[in-house]
Amino acid sequence: MAQITNFLHLHQFVGDLDCRTGASGSGILGVPKPIMVSVNRTFFRRALAVAAYLVVAASVSAQTTPEFADRFVAMTAVTGYEQRMAETLVDWLPFADRDRAGNVVAVIGSGSPVRLAVCPMDERGYIVGRILDDGFLTLRRVGGGGPLFDQGLEGHRVAVWTDGGPVPGVVSIPSTHLGRGRASQPDRPFDVDDAIIDVGADSAADVAALGVRVLDAVALAKRAHRYGESLLAGPEAGRRAGCAALARAASTVASGEVLGTVVIAFVVESYLRHSGLRVVARTHGPFSATWLIDYEVPDRALGEDFGGVERSRLPVRFEATPVETVDLVDADALSDRLIAWAGTQP
Amino acid sequence: MSMNAKRHVRLSLAWLTLLIFWAGGRVSAQVTPDRVERVAEVLEELIETYGVSGDEERVRDVVVRQLPEWAEPEIDDVGNLWVRAGQGDPVVVFIAHLDEVGFQITEILADGTAQLRTRGGFYPNLWEATPALIHTGAGPVPAIFMPRDTVADPPARRPPDGFRLSAGTATRAATEALGIRVGDTVSNPKEFVRLGATRATARSFDDRAGSTAQLLAVQALDLDALDHEVIFIWSVQEEAGLVGAGVAADAPGFTPARVHAIDTFVSSAAPIDRQNFAYAPLGSGPVARGVDSSSVTPRAVLDAFLELAEGHALPLQVGATNGGTDGTPFRDWGVPHMPFGWPLRYSHSPVELIDLEDVVVLVDLIKLVAEEW
Repeated sequence: MAQITNFLHLHQFVGDLDCRTGASGSGILGVPKPIMVSVNRTFFRRALAVAAYLVVAASVSAQTTPEFADRFVAMTAVTGYEQRMAETLVDWLPFADRDRAGNVVAVIGSGSPVRLAVCPMDERGYIVGRILDDGFLTLRRVGGGGPLFDQGLEGHRVAVWTDGGPVPGVVSIPSTHLGRGRASQPDRPFDVDDAIIDVGADSAADVAALGVRVLDAVALAKRAHRYGESLLAGPEAGRRAGCAALARAASTVASGEVLGTVVIAFVVESYLRHSGLRVVARTHGPFSATWLIDYEVPDRALGEDFGGVERSRLPVRFEATPVETVDLVDADALSDRLIAWAGTQP
Repeated sequence: MSMNAKRHVRLSLAWLTLLIFWAGGRVSAQVTPDRVERVAEVLEELIETYGVSGDEERVRDVVVRQLPEWAEPEIDDVGNLWVRAGQGDPVVVFIAHLDEVGFQITEILADGTAQLRTRGGFYPNLWEATPALIHTGAGPVPAIFMPRDTVADPPARRPPDGFRLSAGTATRAATEALGIRVGDTVSNPKEFVRLGATRATARSFDDRAGSTAQLLAVQALDLDALDHEVIFIWSVQEEAGLVGAGVAADAPGFTPARVHAIDTFVSSAAPIDRQNFAYAPLGSGPVARGVDSSSVTPRAVLDAFLELAEGHALPLQVGATNGGTDGTPFRDWGVPHMPFGWPLRYSHSPVELIDLEDVVVLVDLIKLVAEEW
C-alpha cells in the first residue's frame, strides 16, 4: 500500500469539524464530559476520518478517465485565476494539497527515485479591463492566442468569474437585421478590443451589484460536448483530457503500489512564465525523471532539476478552437501508461 | 445536489435578485415578479425546444399542450396552428412564428461529414467551430460545426465557403448509422439563461418570445369581453420566407379586418449597433413597429394603437426597424397591418437578449388589442 502523505490533512479536517461543533470537549450545555468519553471521541474521530477517506477515495478512484475529462473540460481556470479549479481538484483528490503557488500536488510513496508527472491547469482567457458607465464591460486578453482565438468570443455567452461565483454575460454582436443595406461586417477577424460584454446591466452600479469587478476573469461559458463514439470537444480539450488522465492515474496509484516517490502536480500559470512548475521543482525536486503531459515548456525553462524529461501530448483535432476535439480512448490509454509508469523503474 | 434542488436554488436566487432590483426599474405597474417568472417559465420551455424552419412540430406541441381548455386547436396543411375565439366581424388576426434560424443537411459526404444550407439569415462565422445538434427522426445527435480547414493570411472573419458538420464519424455509412439523413435540421444547443435582474439571453427569442406572449394572452383572454372573432396563429417557416403566413393569408374565405404580427423589434439600443434608427431601450416596454423592410403601417392605424395603449397606461415605444414579419403576406389582400413586439438586441445570434418585463407588458397589450380594438 502506498504511503499517503496527506492523510493527516483529512484527519485534521475532520477534527476541525469536531472543534467547531463540540466546543472544546464540552457538552452541548457546557458541562465537561468524563475523560472516558473524550478517549472515545478520539477513537471516533480517527474512525470517522478513516471511513471518510475510504469513501472519498473509493468514489474518486471509481471515476473513469472520461468522467474526469467531462468535468475538466467544463471547468474554467484562466491563467493566474486557477484557484477555483484547484479547490475542486483537492476535493476530488483528497490526498493532494494546494501549495503556496496554487498548484495542486500529491506526493505518493517515499524514498527514491523521486519522479514528477505534471499537467497544466490553466487556459488562455480574459479579464475585465474596464466597466463602462452604461454597464457594459471591455476585456484584456490573458495568455495569448492564435489569429482566430478572439473570434470564438463574438456572439457567444461568457462567464465573469467573481468572488461570488460566475456571472453570465454575452459578447455583443451587431444585429443581423440592422446590417442589411448598410456597410457590411468587417472582413478582419474579431479581436479582443472589439469585445463588449453585456451582463444585463444598465449602469456601472448595476454591474457592481452583480459583484463584477475590474480584473475578474472572463471565459467562454463551457460544457462538455461529447459526440461520435468517444470524442470530447471544448476549449483546450486536449490539455484538460491530459489532466483527466493524470487525475485518474493519481486516484488509482494513491491506493496502490508506486516505485519510490511519485509527485503528481497540476500546475498554474503555464501560459505566463511557468512559475507553478518552478515552485514544484523547488519544493519537491530534484527529480530523476519528469513526465510533461500536454505541457509545452521550453528546454531552457527546465534545467537539471527535472531529470530525464518525457513529453506526451494527446492527439487533437481542430486545435486551439472552441471545439478542440480529443478521443477519450487516447486519454484512457495515457492514464493506463501513467499508472504503469508510477510503479516501474524509470 | 439534485437537479430539483439546483433548480430550486436557482429560482430562489432569481427571485432574490429580482426583488433587490425591483424598486428601481419596473416598466409598468402591471409587471410583478410572479408574472416575470411565469413568462420566464413558459419561455424557457419554448426556447429549449428545437424548431428550425420546416421542423417546428416539437415547438407547436409545447404550445398546444398549454392552450386553455376552451381552445380548439386547428393545424393547417403547412403546419400552422390556429386558435379561434369569439364570433363575428371584424375578424382580427394575431400571428407569431414557431420556427428559428438554423441549418439543414443537403448532402452526406464520403468522409462522413455533412454539407449544410442555411435556414434564415445570420452571420455564419458565429456558428463556425461550435457544438451542434442534428435533429434526426430518432432524436438529437450531437456533432460540431467544423472550423475552417486552413486559416488564410491575413485571416478573414467569415469561413471561406460555408462550413461542414462532423458527427465524429469517418464514413457516410457510419453517419447514416447514427440516424442522420439528408433533410435533417441542425442547430446549436440552446439554453435559456437569466442575466442581471430581469434580462435573459438565448438563441431564438425571435420568435419564441412572441409565441410565449401570444400563448399567455390566450390563456388570459376574457371570452365574455369579445364581441368579434379573434384568430391566433402560430406560424411555420417565417425565417424561410414567410411560408406559413403566406398559406394563412391565402386561406379561402378569409379576409381579416386587421393583422398583428407579434414579432421581434430588432433594437439598436446597444453600443455595438449604430443608433440612427430602431432605438428602443430594453425594459421600456413593447414597441409598435411602424415601419420595417416590408411594411408601413398607416399613420391612422398606428395612432389608434398608441392611443389605446396610452389609455390603459401600458408603456409602448414606437419605431422603425429592419426585416419583415408574418403580417406582410396579408398586405397583399389589403389587410391593414400593425405589427408589434418587444425590443431585442443581437438578432439572429446565439446570444439574443431581451428584458422579460417587456414581454409581460406585451402579453397585456395583445389581450387589450384582442378585447378592445
